Amino acid sequence: MRMNTPEAVLRVNRRALVAALLAAALCLVALGLPVWEFSATVFSKKSGNTFVGDEKYLAVKAEVEAEAARYTEETGAVAQVFENVTERTNSKGQKTSMVAFEVRQAMRRTGWDFLRSGLAAGKVLLALVLCLVAAAVLLGAGMRGTMDVDWPELLPRRRGLRLGAAALGLAALLLVPVFMMCCNLAFTRWIRLATDGFPRPGTDALLRALDGFLYGGTAGEKTLELMSGLRHQAMLPLLAMLPLLAGFALCAVVCADGDPRQTLARALLFAFIIALCVVILYPYYVMVITGFRSNAETTDMYFQHMFPTKWVWSNLKDIIDRGVPRYLLNSLMLSVGATAIALLCGIPAAYAMARMHFAGRKVFLGFVIMSQMFSPVVLLVGISRLMNALHLSDSVLGLMFINAAFNQAFAIWLLRGTFVSISSEMEQAACIDGCSTVSAMLRVLLPIAAPGIVTTLIFVFINAWNEYTISTVLISTTSNKPITVGITQFSSFNMIEWQYLFAAALLATVPVVILFMCIEKHLAAGLTAGGVKG
Amino acid sequence: MNTIPIRHKWEPYVWLLPSILLMAIFVVFPIVIVFKLSMSEISKAGIVGSWNHFANFRAAFRDPAFGTVMLNTAVWVVSVVGLSTVLGFITAMALNVEFHGRRIARSIVVFPWATSLVIQASVWNYIIKGEYGNLNNVLLNLGIIKSAVNWRSTYQIEFAWECGVGIFVTIPFVAFTVLAGLQSIDKAYYEAATVDGAGFWRKLWNVTLPLVKPSLTVCTVLNIIYVFNSFPIIYTITKGAPANKTDTMVTLLYMRAFYDNQKGAATAMSVIGFAILCVCASIYMMVTMRKEEQ
Repeated sequence: MRMNTPEAVLRVNRRALVAALLAAALCLVALGLPVWEFSATVFSKKSGNTFVGDEKYLAVKAEVEAEAARYTEETGAVAQVFENVTERTNSKGQKTSMVAFEVRQAMRRTGWDFLRSGLAAGKVLLALVLCLVAAAVLLGAGMRGTMDVDWPELLPRRRGLRLGAAALGLAALLLVPVFMMCCNLAFTRWIRLATDGFPRPGTDALLRALDGFLYGGTAGEKTLELMSGLRHQAMLPLLAMLPLLAGFALCAVVCADGDPRQTLARALLFAFIIALCVVILYPYYVMVITGFRSNAETTDMYFQHMFPTKWVWSNLKDIIDRGVPRYLLNSLMLSVGATAIALLCGIPAAYAMARMHFAGRKVFLGFVIMSQMFSPVVLLVGISRLMNALHLSDSVLGLMFINAAFNQAFAIWLLRGTFVSISSEMEQAACIDGCSTVSAMLRVLLPIAAPGIVTTLIFVFINAWNEYTISTVLISTTSNKPITVGITQFSSFNMIEWQYLFAAALLATVPVVILFMCIEKHLAAGLTAGGVKG
Repeated sequence: MNTIPIRHKWEPYVWLLPSILLMAIFVVFPIVIVFKLSMSEISKAGIVGSWNHFANFRAAFRDPAFGTVMLNTAVWVVSVVGLSTVLGFITAMALNVEFHGRRIARSIVVFPWATSLVIQASVWNYIIKGEYGNLNNVLLNLGIIKSAVNWRSTYQIEFAWECGVGIFVTIPFVAFTVLAGLQSIDKAYYEAATVDGAGFWRKLWNVTLPLVKPSLTVCTVLNIIYVFNSFPIIYTITKGAPANKTDTMVTLLYMRAFYDNQKGAATAMSVIGFAILCVCASIYMMVTMRKEEQ
């Protein structure tokens, strides 16, 4: 631990405190400045089949400008005229222009306007202000009377107060993007849904609030129409709050811990882990929610919810009627059979490799390593011919053998690693006592090696369960399909029944994921065990 | 050496026999068949004729899609293996630190590995669907985007998505192999480095990287093989469309063999792919065997 002189500590603390309070104050100032900018349409007019500058164009332009002037006169706000020219070729092959005029009014709203508006975004902003004020108070309370005390000697309570200030600062920082998201929802998403005829409950209240917020209550019935052409974006003061709040949190961390690097590294670690987990779990969330939605909801581009409005459990019944249990059973038979064959052949081979000296051991080891890369995909043509010749194509039995064979190398590799890591003394003793080699292996080695064998077993099982490519080539009869091939019947070229696809996928995934979580601890060790000298 | 006495000289071979039989019939035999087919004329009906002076290879090279597909395969392998190695390494480093909830995080990271590729690919295919896809739905309802985005406007972007899914499903494998390597490093090295005043980056560069290099090499070579052979992602998301522009070698091979009935060209491609893999596998074998001898 670093020990500093009281003067040095006082200096650092004073700087951090001043910087933090300054940042908090600047944030509150920024909220008083315009934070959000709008460009609202108040009038629009199109002029087709014209040229820029011709009579028709001028007439429309004059009309639009008069409208803008009238608007300015009525409301006192400055309205601007915009024109958008699109060139097109008409039916006679002449080039003409389409000019669209828009009268737009630029509006800016400060943070305080938002607070008064009653919008959800305003409530987020209120939470932000409260967080910031509470953080400043906590920081002040934590600093009182201990400005020159070194961090290691701080009372835990003081430290807690200062760290609490940092946490609240971080919360305030995270509320800025939340505020932006709320604005996007209120000003675009919900308005668009309402204009397209899919209003959500509460749209009326929202429109009233928006009318008061943007048009001072003058728009009334026309609010929705006016809002539909609204453009909006965040302004600099709001964006400036991001570095200010980050600075505030950082200063609070300096006050609490002296050296912020440790805390920052930790924060970074957690941020990375959380982001990773969110990304990894996202497809599974999609699988679950889509598997229990109705068909209409899965392809609804206006769908307003993150979860199904009604959980359609009958999807499960439908997929059961459409042969999914049969596919699951096939997959189960295929995986159990492949695992059994792979282990029955693999355990003796791995045992011989681990325990016996013989000519050609090296060659076989080389072959085992090489064959880890013999992917069935590249050999598909050969495999399908071979299976035809053996009359094993289009049967679960054939798939069993193929999966066992292509997992054989990996199984031997894992098992050999396990066996090598176990001392052979007990088996030697058993052999001297007159036990045969076979019973020495069965009675002595296998019970000790059980964890490694279970890992191999689950691994081969999962590989066989998840295999897709060979099955799709070899199996043509519906009743012989394993689940990975079976679920593709729900996605044909012209229609994909997403809800059935994902409900079936869920049934195929959950058992395997649970199995994999069971061996997760041994997985990493097992993968490299083969290379570790025993 | 950890051995037991053998009674007869032939005994070990009996132990190996089932395994050798299994692999000889179902692994070696298809290889022989593919090599033989690639050298012979194959009629539309699938009847194998005589030696045809490498006509199949000429057909494969003349295939209009061959150039694009080789390039795609290179991009696919390099980007997926490269990025998943970097991200997987970072993940392994993060999971090697002690923190609350580490066991849960590890269990979650293993998820994509346990899920069938065809299911993962189907889910992502739905997620990035143009208008009703779940990504648009979630982002719109959270207010992160203002209007629906077409996530697959060009085939290049679609191919990039496919690479992304490839990276996503490969990360757990890299993370767990590297994690195994990290956990076997003696803590004393780090303590010594700390005493010598080495910071995080110095420790990473001078202690961690040299010590996990063996696991990293093994995992990278295996990864090249797995990724090269990866079929369901591309087959599910784009099926190589438009006009084989997003195909890789294995999906093109599949299409030529089982859709377009060009078995000759397909077997020639198999042999080419096999040759590429053999080079990788030889490197892998040399590395592993050398490690074995140490």
